[in-house]
Amino acid sequence: MTGPLLRVRDLTATVTTRREVIQAVRGISFDINADEAVGFVGESGCGKSVTAKALMRLAPEGASIGLGGSVAFWGQDLLGLGEDEMRDLRGRRIAMVFQDPMTSLNPVMSIGAQMGDMLRRHLGLSVKDARERSIELLDLVGIPDPARRIDDFPHQFSGGQRQRVLIAIAISCEPDLLIADEPTTALDVTVQAQILRLLLRLREERGMALMLITHDFGVVAGMVDRVNVMYRGEIVEAGPVDTVFAEPQHAYTRALLDAVPRLHETGAVR
Amino acid sequence: MTRFVLGRLAWMAAILLGVSFVAFMLMRAIPGDFAIAAAGSQSVAPEVLATIRRDLGLDQPLMAQYLHWLGSALTGDFGKSFVTRQPVLGELLGRLAVTFQLTLLAAVIAAVMGVASGLAAARLRGATDWLVRLWNGLMLAVPNYVVATLIVLLFGLYFPEITVLGYTPFLESPLGNLASLLLPAFALALAVSVTIAENTRAAVLEVANQDFVMVARAKGLTPAAILRDYLMRNALTPVITAAGLKIAALLGGSILVETIFAIPGMGQYLFDSINSRDYPVIQAIVLVAAGIVVLVNTAIDIAYARVDARVQM
Amino acid sequence: MQDNAPVATPRKGAGVTQGWLLLGLGLAMLALMLVLTIFAPLVAPYDPSATSPDSLAPASAAHWLGTDSIGRDVLSRLIVGGRTTLLITVSAVLIALVAGLILGLAAGYLGGRTDEIIMRLLDVVFAFPVLLLAIAVVAALGPTVPNLILTIAIVYTPAMARVVRAPVLSVKQWDHVEAARSVGMSEIRLVLRHILPIVVSPILVATSLTLSQTIFTVTALSFLGLGPPPPDPNWGGMLSEARQFMELAPLTVVGPALAIVFATLTFIIIANGLREVLDVGSVR
Repeated sequence: MTGPLLRVRDLTATVTTRREVIQAVRGISFDINADEAVGFVGESGCGKSVTAKALMRLAPEGASIGLGGSVAFWGQDLLGLGEDEMRDLRGRRIAMVFQDPMTSLNPVMSIGAQMGDMLRRHLGLSVKDARERSIELLDLVGIPDPARRIDDFPHQFSGGQRQRVLIAIAISCEPDLLIADEPTTALDVTVQAQILRLLLRLREERGMALMLITHDFGVVAGMVDRVNVMYRGEIVEAGPVDTVFAEPQHAYTRALLDAVPRLHETGAVR
Repeated sequence: MTRFVLGRLAWMAAILLGVSFVAFMLMRAIPGDFAIAAAGSQSVAPEVLATIRRDLGLDQPLMAQYLHWLGSALTGDFGKSFVTRQPVLGELLGRLAVTFQLTLLAAVIAAVMGVASGLAAARLRGATDWLVRLWNGLMLAVPNYVVATLIVLLFGLYFPEITVLGYTPFLESPLGNLASLLLPAFALALAVSVTIAENTRAAVLEVANQDFVMVARAKGLTPAAILRDYLMRNALTPVITAAGLKIAALLGGSILVETIFAIPGMGQYLFDSINSRDYPVIQAIVLVAAGIVVLVNTAIDIAYARVDARVQM
Repeated sequence: MQDNAPVATPRKGAGVTQGWLLLGLGLAMLALMLVLTIFAPLVAPYDPSATSPDSLAPASAAHWLGTDSIGRDVLSRLIVGGRTTLLITVSAVLIALVAGLILGLAAGYLGGRTDEIIMRLLDVVFAFPVLLLAIAVVAALGPTVPNLILTIAIVYTPAMARVVRAPVLSVKQWDHVEAARSVGMSEIRLVLRHILPIVVSPILVATSLTLSQTIFTVTALSFLGLGPPPPDPNWGGMLSEARQFMELAPLTVVGPALAIVFATLTFIIIANGLREVLDVGSVR
């Protein structure tokens, strides 16, 4: 196949809630190639999370989202897809890991059930096959004794383990693109590094593209090839991660970089 | 957990004791002589009154009377009706069975109507939400006996060929039994369904804001699967709890609805007993009804705590 | 976590405006009821107890809501009957409110043993279905207006006490209460100046809701024949009496039914309006 995995041009996103209308993304363009890891950095409220949700056409609950511009996934226009086709794509081709593992799992369903429903939906596996596949996946993301833990409920797992489970869910259907939205923000510092290492390993093993969203330059440093800096709904600076680090062009980027005193420790994730 | 259950059970026993004391004292607080009420007539010979006093233990100290009455009540002996001179228990059990059917059917109707409309309001929002809330607001203001009376009136005016009053026992005709209870159960259920709808709506809206619902959508699951496994499973626990606590309202409401629809349940029994000043019966019904409410509430408390412990983060 | 806006345009604040509208509507309905009932003898076109041979008459210019089975004017009876119903309702709720305030403030503020004892005793009363307890008490004491008021006050006191107690418990810990105490303010002034005002909003809402429930209980009692004694009209009694001939004169049923619904609705609307305006969470 030719061309990038994802080609986004002049994307705008307007989020309408009951209280206000927010122009969250104001005309951004970027590409993500297959096998590539791209970072999106910016402070909270800069529109990076909305961008991620916009790619999957997910509106925040209780709000509606109006999208403009174009999003081409393997050349196919996502904004023109019907909701049913889009649903077939979510989780199957583009998957997402969210910020807070403590609240991202359904408290009344076992881990196995929450992994199985997606495997059965997208890959048409039987209950038994889905269960076996889930156990393999849990093993892959480093949950000890997965055959026993699969029937446990979320509250029986620590925060780091829950994020591992959520990563296992996200990669379970072998998506082409994994979007990780602040995947380590809610975790302890020691656990953060483990999760980042896991993401890095899985990306290399499975050859999927990664879109890593964070407010922390320290997190992207060792993880991504290219970085986009977002500010007030726009991309203000883009380039290879080393270049942006070495010679930040935009004042905002410099401010963000200055805000990362522990750059060198966390940067050495590899 | 065991500690909690034992604590709840002890508390329940204490409440029941208090309830029984109130029920006992109420009937001793009747103005006038209890023995005269028991005799059913003012013009009774003093000797007869004295016999009645001795038979009912009225010559004993109040506390002793209470303990004796409570002891008998615990073994199912609620004394004899002043009117029929028959033991209260037999009649009460028969009546209770009818009321149980009525409340059960009402609870089912209320749950179905309430959950469905609350869910529709929370998921569809917009005009549906507005309509459901308006309906809820209005129905909250219509007491169940007004609903019941208006139903009887409407059927009398427009479908005079349909019998809406009366009761068919289950053993006589199961379908006829259901048919005879349907309208009264609906009248009884309406107000409760409003509460359930409001609770469901609030719970679903709250759950819908949870991150795991967004995760479920990002997984590409169908709306039906998300609704079933993610929204309802989480929203229903508080809804069921709140609905269970409405048992008291259903029991209270059945007094009126049974009277209006001529259903021979506990409510109608109470109504008749009040009119004939049949105090032992009133006492027994008050005690049993309050007891049922306390039992149900305790059971819900314990069940809820169990679910909560399993689910807790 | 939701991304906040770079460029956010606020939409009109729905909640509070709606609250004022509801409150205004409710108060207007209440004012209408109060005027009608206070000036009932002047407003009512007929003597509510005066019978006439013209029984079960349909609506006409002379009798807007027709007449009942012994020829009394339904509209006049509704207006005068509202007097009794509202008198019982409002006095009962006021007594329950005062009793609930005293018990709730005492329990919440004093805490410890006092709290325990008061709340446990109230729990016993709370265990009874409201209507059942009311029926039992009225049946025992006899259905007179003072007895009805007293009974209903007793029945609703526990709920009021609970509503008062909860905010008191949380408010008690607040800094400015501590500060006032450290300055040496007397306990009673502390309660009156600092705790009471914060407790007021939920109480206003709860009182309003209790009023609507009390209308229900009062009319239900009279419906069961446990209302104020005849010949004074009251809504529940009228509804009950009218059932016998309702197919012949539907208005005799519809009139009191609408009156009851109107009164209940009034207090529910006021409660919802207050809740929005005062920003009180859901009170049951």
